[in-house]
Amino acid sequence: MVLMRHYEVMVILDPALDERTVAPSLDTFLNVIRTSGGNVEKVEVWGKRRLSFEINKSAEGIYAVLDLISTPDAVKELDRQLGLNESVLRTKVLRREPPKAPKATTKAA
Amino acid sequence: MPRPERPVKRRVNALHKEGVTTVDWKDVTLLRKFVSDRGKIRSRRVTGLTPQQQRQVATAIKNAREMALLPYPSKGR
Repeated sequence: MVLMRHYEVMVILDPALDERTVAPSLDTFLNVIRTSGGNVEKVEVWGKRRLSFEINKSAEGIYAVLDLISTPDAVKELDRQLGLNESVLRTKVLRREPPKAPKATTKAA
Repeated sequence: MPRPERPVKRRVNALHKEGVTTVDWKDVTLLRKFVSDRGKIRSRRVTGLTPQQQRQVATAIKNAREMALLPYPSKGR
């Protein structure tokens, strides 16, 4: 089986976008994850927030947080495609560490 | 005679232990407490956190900064 990992992706989008269109348009990006056998756990749109400093001359941004379970390659591709889109101000991909459960290291891999 | 009494400002006990076990870098209201109004990360002396907690908080703050959730330290006047 391919290695699957839990990722957390935060995206800052152009505030000029309509907030209602954000979720659907993010969804089209997420096809990369789905077609590669990954799973989209959660899509959370925070809405418009003030940035603590300007990014690309805009003082606000629409925040969205995605929770994914996917292969490293798929996430990389997602990040690349997001970066190419001009209405994306910034992205951040982080591995979600599993909550402090694996203390009794279960080697079920 | 040297008095062994320093101004005992016992640091406020790990404020943190009020529930939070892992620091979430998206929790801005929490992280704000560990940042001065200049935007600098408060030292361990001030926060009274354990080294592990302090490290978690510091990385969380740095992540949050990258996403413009928290400010970078501003230069002195």
